[in-house]
Amino acid sequence: MRATSPERSGGEAPRRNTAAEARAAFAAWVGEAPEGRSFGQVIVRQTPEGYELRHAANVGVPDEELVVHGDPREAREIAKLTEEGEYRPLKSSPNLRRGWVLRVEDERGLYVAMNYLYPSGVVHWHLYRNGELEITNYRENAARQSGIYKRVQRLSDEGVQNAARACCEDAVCLKKTLWDVDENTPRLSEPGEGEIPCPEPCSIFVSFARRVRLFERENKRDLDAIGLSPSEKEDLSALVDAAATGSVEFAREAEFEEPLNERRMRYRKLTLVPKLRPDEDAATPDEG
Amino acid sequence: MKALIIVGHGSHLNEDSSLPVYEHAALVRDHYTGEFDEVVECFWKEEPSMRHVLDMVESENITVVPAFISEGYFTQQVIPRELGLDGPVTHRDGRTIRYAGPLGTFEGMPDVILERADDLLKGKGTRPGRTALVLLGHGTDLNKNSGGVVYLNAERIRERGVYDLVEVGFLDQDPPIAEVVEGVEAENVVLIPVFIAEGWHTRETIPEDLGLTGEVTERADKTIFYGAPVGTHPSVADLIVSRARETEGREAELARDVS
Repeated sequence: MRATSPERSGGEAPRRNTAAEARAAFAAWVGEAPEGRSFGQVIVRQTPEGYELRHAANVGVPDEELVVHGDPREAREIAKLTEEGEYRPLKSSPNLRRGWVLRVEDERGLYVAMNYLYPSGVVHWHLYRNGELEITNYRENAARQSGIYKRVQRLSDEGVQNAARACCEDAVCLKKTLWDVDENTPRLSEPGEGEIPCPEPCSIFVSFARRVRLFERENKRDLDAIGLSPSEKEDLSALVDAAATGSVEFAREAEFEEPLNERRMRYRKLTLVPKLRPDEDAATPDEG
Repeated sequence: MKALIIVGHGSHLNEDSSLPVYEHAALVRDHYTGEFDEVVECFWKEEPSMRHVLDMVESENITVVPAFISEGYFTQQVIPRELGLDGPVTHRDGRTIRYAGPLGTFEGMPDVILERADDLLKGKGTRPGRTALVLLGHGTDLNKNSGGVVYLNAERIRERGVYDLVEVGFLDQDPPIAEVVEGVEAENVVLIPVFIAEGWHTRETIPEDLGLTGEVTERADKTIFYGAPVGTHPSVADLIVSRARETEGREAELARDVS
């Protein structure tokens, strides 16, 4: 069950407009900090003309060296592709491109722009600050999945833990993970340092969890003499083949069926490397 | 305040899937100024998710239009579940959320398909003889509604008598599109994918399977004109607004039914 927060208690009382509250609260929060606020990879600052947004790596860079935008809806184009031109299915990935500045006139423009850069980030930030953000744990989320995603219901607790370490930590997603495996099983991955809360496993995570569940299933029956699964061998071969050419080209961010996917490799670091080097402590994916 | 939420499937892998939803939303903002205070996009596989879009919206009067072709798994199961809808009209937290049907079954859809075909043929020479319109659906053996919507539109267009022939073919169910295109007795074949967005099928598998060389492919016996998916046509924005308007009478209807 989703917890019922005050704005959902409804009834005949006048409706509390959480989204409008969040818009105003965010603008006020930005306004309180003359040097600007950091949100994801963006620095937001109030100016005499309105609000200015830019990549944190571009603070102090003059306009002549940036593409200057004036329409808050242009934030969608800014957020769409990485600097290398790759599609960004997850807006909280730490791969927002640099080289732009976006100036908007008012609080509404700021809300529109922020919702393209970090969709629903502002309203979740606001609810979290007020202790009102509804959290949906993994098992609740999995319980409502259907079709090709129904199998994520069978993912083990250990599988959820490793999937969260591989898929959600700051190296690959800047949201602060707030959900647990279930109400009695805390999630063990690092929640992250950022301002944007993550109240529920996202669609990328569910897709990754599905892939990890497939790995779990093969583990039981398909291990070879040294304990490697077919997909582990597939990944190792793909890695060796790629490295032998002198450059490892990664699969797309959410292409989890491909061996050379970063999150898939992070999962292998947690689960395969300890098998290959049994004498060493398992390293976290962020090390090295 | 009034909001329109357009729901798209979206993709983890490419930007094509959500593009029509963004484009139609932009057209609605421009062409229907004042009708909606907010026009918001949301997706199954992209952000904002259906799960969280209602958190972002300020309006109390909300209409949800699925940018999907057919009635089926997504429109009947996934979208209502993720948005927490009770049915055609949901009252929650002082809000009214109306849920419209998919675009493909709407009576305005044949007009968009015909516009797409006209746009395709504009400025291009046709051979003397008959011209057939062939509607291409994805289809699936798992759900008869998926193909049904393509037959529905073919029938509605056939009734208008604009084309000598109106045929239907599919990727994943019978009749296979290649056989339909080969077998159709017309000198000109206008092939329109009844899809929402460009993607792997429209860009790669379809042209490859049918041996198409672009918008116009000359064969010995016929010329094949291959159009963009109907869902990317700008008129779909009008269709979305019509779908949204249509839901407004529902509460009155429901009230009448009860009394």
